This record gives sequence, C-alpha cells and structure tokens, in this order.
Amino acid sequence: MTARRRLAFTLVGVLLGVVGTAGAHGAGLASASGRSLAVPTWLFLLTGGGVIGASFLLASFVTDRAFIRRVHGWRRAVALPALRVLTGVGRVVGVVGLLFVLVVGFVGPQESLYNAAILVVWAGWWSGYAMTTYLVGNTWPVLNPWRSIATVLPSLDRPYPDRLDAWPSVVGLLALIWLEVVSPVADQPRFLASIVAGYTVITLAGAVVFGEETWFETVDPVSRVFRYFGRVAPLYADDGVSVRLPGAGLSEAKLVTSRAEVAFVVAVLWVTTYDGLVATPLWRRYAVAVVEGGVPPNLLYAAALVVGYLVFLGIYRAAAKASKRRARTYVPVEDLAYRFAPPLVAIAAGYHVAHFLGYFLELSPTLLGTLTAPLSPPEPVALLLPAWFGGLELSFVILGHLLAIWVAHAAAYDIFPGKLQAIRSQYATTAAMVCYTIVSLWIVSQPYAVPPYVS
Amino acid sequence: MTEHTHPRQTPPSDPPEEPATCSYCGEKFVDEQLLALHRGIEHEPRLSEAEADAYRAARDAEREDVRLFRLKALAALLFIYFGFIFVYAFVV
Ligand SMILES: [Zn+2]
Repeated sequence: MTARRRLAFTLVGVLLGVVGTAGAHGAGLASASGRSLAVPTWLFLLTGGGVIGASFLLASFVTDRAFIRRVHGWRRAVALPALRVLTGVGRVVGVVGLLFVLVVGFVGPQESLYNAAILVVWAGWWSGYAMTTYLVGNTWPVLNPWRSIATVLPSLDRPYPDRLDAWPSVVGLLALIWLEVVSPVADQPRFLASIVAGYTVITLAGAVVFGEETWFETVDPVSRVFRYFGRVAPLYADDGVSVRLPGAGLSEAKLVTSRAEVAFVVAVLWVTTYDGLVATPLWRRYAVAVVEGGVPPNLLYAAALVVGYLVFLGIYRAAAKASKRRARTYVPVEDLAYRFAPPLVAIAAGYHVAHFLGYFLELSPTLLGTLTAPLSPPEPVALLLPAWFGGLELSFVILGHLLAIWVAHAAAYDIFPGKLQAIRSQYATTAAMVCYTIVSLWIVSQPYAVPPYVS
Repeated sequence: MTEHTHPRQTPPSDPPEEPATCSYCGEKFVDEQLLALHRGIEHEPRLSEAEADAYRAARDAEREDVRLFRLKALAALLFIYFGFIFVYAFVV
C-alpha cells in the first residue's frame, strides 16, 4: 500500500494544508472514524469475529439440499445490445489506455498528483476498475490491452511445461506486490511507465512463445486475479452475458483444480493483507527495530512477504486437514483444499473494497482533472469523505466473509452426503475465518503509518 | 450429479476396519448411513428396493440428528448474542 496509498495521503495532506479542515478523513480509510469512539478496539474486533461465528451458525440452519442447489444454480441470460460493438470498443479503450499511460508517464508532468498515468493506474485501474471485476463482471479479457495486441502477433505455440502449472502466476503476483510496496511506482511517473513497458515486453514475449491463450489463462497473474474476482460478480460470459447471484460462481467444482491454483488464491488473500499490514504503526516500530539491527530494508520487506505467505498457506493446509478429520471422509485433503479455496476470493474481494473504495473516491476528482488535460493538469482536488465512511468500509470486510461462509456451506453440501458431516467439515475453516476477520479489521482500523525505508 | 468414479481416496485419521463402499461409483464412507445417503443423492434412479429403503431410513435418522444440532446451534447463538450484550453493557 505504500507508494500507492501515499498518493491519497499526500492529496488529503495538501488539501488540509490549504483549507485546514479539522477532523477530516485522515489517510483513506485508515482512521476508521465511523466507528463509535466509545467502543474499545478489542471489543470492536471481537464483535467482528462474533458476527462471523454467528453467521456460520445461522448458515448451518439451512440444510435443504434442493434449496441450496437452486440458489447457487440460478441463472438468467441478459440481453446486452450490440455486444460485438461493445467488445470492439473495450479492446480499443484498453490499447489506447496502455499507450496513454506509457506516453503520459514518460513525457507528462513528473509530480505524482499531476500525472494522469499515475492516477489512471492506481486510482482508475487498480482501485476503480478492479472493483468492477467482482461487483459487476470480469471484463478484463476484453479490455486487457496486451491480450488485444497479442492476438495480432504471430505465435510460436511452444508447449507450456505442465509441471509449472499456475506457479509462475503465484511468483508474479508476489513480485508485483513487492514492487508496489518497496518501489516508487506511485511517486515517479517515469518509473511507473518503465515498469509498465517492462511488463508489456515480458507479457507480449510470453504470449508469442506459448500462445496467447496459454499465457493469459495460465501465466499472467493480473488476468488470473481478475478471473477469480469475476467469479464473485453477478454478470458472467456464457455464450453472451448471463446473470447469477453474487458469489454463486465460486461454488462450482472446476474453478480450482490444482495445488498451484490453491496457492494462487491464498496469495491473493495474503497480498491484500500484506499491503495493509506494512502501513500500520506496529509494522513501523517492528521494521525500524529490525533495520537498526542491521537487516537491509528491501530484504526485510521481501522476507516478510514470503514468510507471511507461507504462514497463510500453512494455516489453510491445516484447516483442510482438520476438515477431513472432522468430516471423517475418504475425500483426499487436496480435493477439499481445491473446493474450499474459492470462498477465500470473496473474502479478498470484501477486503479490497474496504481498502480501495475510499481511496478511489478521494482521488477520482483529481483523476478526472488530469484526464481532461494530461500535459497541463489542473490543481488536484480531493473529495473529503464523511466520517461514517470508515464504518461503511469496515462493513465490506464482514460482507466478504459472510459470502465466503455461504459459498463454503454450499460447497460442503455438494461434497458430503451427510448434512452434519458437511457442517462439521467447516469448523476449522470458520475458526480460521474468525481469526482472519479480527486481524483484517485490526489492520483496517489502524491509523495510517507511512512504511519506513521505502522510497 | 454426474456418476463418476473416485480413483483418489484416502482414509480419514480414524478409519473403520472395513469402509462402506458404493457399488455404483466406488466412493468409500466410514459408515453405512453415509453410504445410504450418498446412494440416495447421487444414484437415486438406479437404486434397488432395499437401497431405497436404506436411504429413507438414513434420512429419517439424519433428520433427528439435524434437529438436535439446531438446538445446540440456537443455544450457541443465544450465548453469543447475550454474551455481547452483557459485555457491551459493562464496557461501553
Ligand atoms: Zn456412488
């Protein structure tokens, strides 16, 4: 969250300096000012955990298999006019957007809040657009500029090594997040444009070597994130466009089918957490102590990223094992891990809204301003969010968990013939979710502290 | 609902001496009741008279278990609810 988050932080800071509004929405959602002042933090966190536990108990009252199947199987076709035209427009917008970011990043004004490339990438794309992928539907296969370019390039169609599976996308995702945290990608437009150019070269080269479909379906981490996010969304592509209930796409059996894909879903959940964790005062104190003890900062950030990820993987693995033990089933632990991974995407989506909604709204006037005149942008303007907004954001964390509990409940009913067996299989995952809720609410409620030692 | 075979099956940590095995698809279970439920859910159109009876009996037994579980879940919910009311009354 570092460099990117600092964008909103600076913006609000600039504004506060100018207008001197007291008690404004500190750094994005970090102040969580919507929360009642009278409630101590521990009780507030405990309440969040309690809501998740209670929801699990409530879901366990729904034991009618036919009803659960009907809810998750509900689908309707949507008539979208001129779908082909929309697709074409989407591709053009994507490619023009990429060129825009490259050009404005290199030749535009070099202050972050005046540079449209910075704002398009962080406020427009990674906040605003990413939210549409799980709230509306995954349009990335159409919008993805690299994919559109790759379709017109020749392809060598070299066979992709099967044993690599989704592992390159796991490494790619962790690497991108590490870059986001430690490098000035949201401070220096030229640096951002170089990263985008580098990503373009790697992506197009990969698509040419292995074929466009293999690359974007298997290797490219960004496409994979949006594809999983799209499973939460109500709209989906199915020989046209269809609508389903939010989250219903997550309970299908074929979504996660390998160890590497489980690892990717866990990585999505972990990187959103890590992003928030390194901007807490606790991390700041800890990092300062460790770096003063002689550890290089860049190593510290990378090590924390990897260690935390392994901890998350370990917890997930333990929960899957406990699930097998409690359900007394002959279904292998791996299969349980595949089936119970997709609900985590709903949690990650809820956490993403909590993280980015305020950020997006605060920066959107500036984004629009720079878009109208990218080379001579107007003064940045911020939207000051009302105090209750922090509470709204926190509620999205809870909402994501509720969706996850319901999806896992449906998946368990699909796997196990016994109703109580299905409920028991969820004890460990629910316990893990309660703990995770408490941790993520704690992170979201912490005041923003600029992560130390990163540019 | 498709009938598939289950090549990969691993025993649970406390397996029975002899697992109950589905004669239609080979899936294994720790007891006859779970097998009867599985047959009824996955292979209903093909069941013999005896298997259909076993399915009905297993469902009745399960209904009782679910009823008992719901009472416990309700008690737990009330405990959480009043627990929080109590804590809030003291703290806030
Ligand atoms: Zn069977």
